[in-house]
Amino acid sequence: MNSAYKKEIRYTLLFSVLLLLTGHCGLFFVAFPPLRGHMLFGFPSQFIIPVLMGWIGLMVVAAIQAKLTNDLDDEIEALEDVVEES
Amino acid sequence: MEKQQWALEDPTIGIIFVAASFIFFYFVGWYSARAAKTSTDYWTAGRSIGSVTNGLGMASSYMSLATFMGVTALILNLKVPFVYMWIQFGLSIPLITLWYGTPLRRLGVFTPAQFVRERYGLNTSYVVAIFMVLIMVMYALGQMIGVAKVFEMLFGVNYTLALVCGGALIVGYVAIGGMYGTSYNAAFQMVLMGIAFIVPLGAIMKAMGSSGWYFPPLLYADMVPAMLDAVPDFFDMKYGFKWYFALIPTLTIGAMGLPHLGMRIYTAANLKSARGAMVWFTFFCGITFSATYAMGFAGVFFQATSGAVIAPEDYDKITLILNGVYNPPWVLAFVIAGAIAAGLSTISANLMAIGALIAQDIVATIKPNLDESKTKVLNYCAIAGGGLAAILIALNPPDFLVVSVLFAFGMAGVTVAPLVILGVWWKQANRYGATSGTLISGLLYIAVSPYIFPNFVVSSGLQSALGMSGALLCVPLCFFLVTTVSMITNRIPALAKNIPLDENKRLVDSIHGWTVYNEQRYNSTMAGIVVAAVSGFFVIYAILPGGWVA
Repeated sequence: MNSAYKKEIRYTLLFSVLLLLTGHCGLFFVAFPPLRGHMLFGFPSQFIIPVLMGWIGLMVVAAIQAKLTNDLDDEIEALEDVVEES
Repeated sequence: MEKQQWALEDPTIGIIFVAASFIFFYFVGWYSARAAKTSTDYWTAGRSIGSVTNGLGMASSYMSLATFMGVTALILNLKVPFVYMWIQFGLSIPLITLWYGTPLRRLGVFTPAQFVRERYGLNTSYVVAIFMVLIMVMYALGQMIGVAKVFEMLFGVNYTLALVCGGALIVGYVAIGGMYGTSYNAAFQMVLMGIAFIVPLGAIMKAMGSSGWYFPPLLYADMVPAMLDAVPDFFDMKYGFKWYFALIPTLTIGAMGLPHLGMRIYTAANLKSARGAMVWFTFFCGITFSATYAMGFAGVFFQATSGAVIAPEDYDKITLILNGVYNPPWVLAFVIAGAIAAGLSTISANLMAIGALIAQDIVATIKPNLDESKTKVLNYCAIAGGGLAAILIALNPPDFLVVSVLFAFGMAGVTVAPLVILGVWWKQANRYGATSGTLISGLLYIAVSPYIFPNFVVSSGLQSALGMSGALLCVPLCFFLVTTVSMITNRIPALAKNIPLDENKRLVDSIHGWTVYNEQRYNSTMAGIVVAAVSGFFVIYAILPGGWVA
């Protein structure tokens, strides 16, 4: 099996984990209570960090995901004949 | 204390704003529909929508009346745990794009049900299509309730009349426009609802004394000390680990099974444009969601400090109530137009999905040779029928409009997402596994909800009402059944001979972009065993008592 296939599997698993971390980072504050109650930008940490990760963090991960998966598509197409979209 | 009545004193400006926006939406819908030459054009807008427009459209389909009204209502009720619940919704489009958006697009299908038909066969697709219609009707139901509540406040008429009139206007608009109309309208509606939500929120924050009013989504930290004095438990977590963990199967995986979100990926001009739209989606989603949390914060603060009494049945109207209290009437009228736009864009996406499911996935497969004119009539009838069903159910609504929406997410996570994810990524998934998985898990999800057998539930309270405890059990159960039943039946020659295994395996390779077949790709038995074992673990975790409260 070629590296593009392995890369596809790796990207899918890696970005799934990263996306889940951005959207569910509140889970850390539930699992580890000492993380709560610190103030950041004037808000309690358990509120503002999940909000920012769910917006800015997610945007950054989605942008990297778009770039790398676009490159991967090009790589797969370069390896073999192009699959025409129907 | 006596309950206050929240209604517009003079509805004239509100009616003018709403009427003007409806005329504009109808015009865009009619004008766009002229471009649809075939049924496929009607459903996918000719696959020609650019990434910014599509990103706005994706966000718009998601920024429903639940965002505009339902979320603020539940923040008023639940406070910060509900913010956690909403944050993860931004993951939907990136996860759909990553896991199956692009493969389905390569296959040339525009609903997950069509993929199920290609991958697992007709019988499985009928089962999934029926669940999907149910999911979309429940999703549209939440929006219809919201539209009715806005019309109720705008015109001062009773809920039933508001529901019938508002619902009829919206169903007519969607049937006329098709996906061309809804895509371009959805983009406009996203801009309208963004401005109508965020700008007046700035004025509300300023009136409440916030110095960060010029960027209300994030800059209200100076109100936090006053909030903690008035409502000390506002930032408390309240629930246990299981409650927050259940958000993943219910809402994150649930969103991956929603047909109307996936459809936005298929309307993009090409795959790169679809991924560009995904990034735009996260931006538009993030800014509007953050503004929603700020509106919820302001609502809780207002209720705690002003002495005003807001009855629980009016919680859904908190955005409108705050605008009515702090802003001039024309601003409230503009906000109402924005709220209508929010409901309209989502209902239109829901009804388009219902229409596509009934017309394309069920009727078109039973009668494949229908001529174009009959197909068009069928499209209109399917949309109108779905709308009518949502209106009829909304005549007797749940307490909060968002309840039916979230329950629908859970059902999508149970009945659709596992089939599509495993179908795209695992060659060994077959029709026996898919049909038994979706049927058993889907029916169990409905059975353990508190609405059917109140004593046959996994948990009680909010997590049960929203479908969270049911989804925590049934989503992994579906993964478990699809993998184990598939692995067993593939090894029973009498059953395996009924499955076009070779054809299915080649299909999986081709939708990932490979033209030269390789037997080893996406074909690991060990992967199937790992998925089954992990799913089995979570089924047991869901059944174990406790863990829901802090």
